[in-house]
Amino acid sequence: MDIAILAPAAVLVLWSLIMLLWMAGTRFPAMAKSGGDLANAKPGGRGIDLEGVIPDKVNWKSHNYTHLMEQPTLFYATVVILALTNAGHGLNLYLAWAYVAIRIVHSIWQATVNLVKVRFLLFVLATICLLIMAINAVWVTLF
Amino acid sequence: MMENSALLQPMVVLILWTMLIWLWMYVTRIPAMNKAKIDTANLVGGKGGDLDELLPPEVQWKAHNYNHLLTEPTLFYAICVVLILAGQDFGLNLTIAWIYVGLRVLHSLIQVTSNRVLYRFSVFALSSLCIIALAIHAAIAVF
Repeated sequence: MDIAILAPAAVLVLWSLIMLLWMAGTRFPAMAKSGGDLANAKPGGRGIDLEGVIPDKVNWKSHNYTHLMEQPTLFYATVVILALTNAGHGLNLYLAWAYVAIRIVHSIWQATVNLVKVRFLLFVLATICLLIMAINAVWVTLF
Repeated sequence: MMENSALLQPMVVLILWTMLIWLWMYVTRIPAMNKAKIDTANLVGGKGGDLDELLPPEVQWKAHNYNHLLTEPTLFYAICVVLILAGQDFGLNLTIAWIYVGLRVLHSLIQVTSNRVLYRFSVFALSSLCIIALAIHAAIAVF
């Protein structure tokens, strides 16, 4: 079992939680400014209801947190497959770290400047890393 | 390789709970859709989110919670697997994992019934602290 490849996975989990804190830390002051608060929120209100109510830039943190709950789930699954099949070293390990590094840059970009063409490029680069890892995972398990 | 790690139990319980909410969503949503005279036989391209406009909020709250269970808990599953593979799947980590699952069940019950945002947020914040603690323990273990 290749435990080294678990480190990038652990880092991405922690990073996701940092985005959660960043989201909360900007959202609550923005809610207070727009006259909303949790105690008086209408029952059933969700983060998505804040679109158009608080500044876009504040919601960008939330968009990124949501984004981190999507494709990275495939990353975790792939990392576990590679770790269990003793393939979590060499190229796969580098790709896993590259994926996490690019996702962190992607997060910072989406939460601040958020120019779409750059965000898209970062997302494509990260996806290519994951794609190669996934192909390797299929290779080691199926053949 | 681990022999039936005890940490697998809270993971499986949360997965089963998620599917229970899925069931709860359907048994309330399908009758509500019939009542709203939605022509599902000829529906093309609709999404669950579109029903926010058409069905009573309490019905959609089940769907909101089901979606919510597919966001942050994905970090929980990833971090549990990391802890198991790193041999840190006992003691405090196991206790925290069970607390997380307990809080998520409570969070679901709040969101699908009264859905008071302040209570829901408080339980979510507490459950997030559990994941943060697990993620830090995992990072310590794998580095």
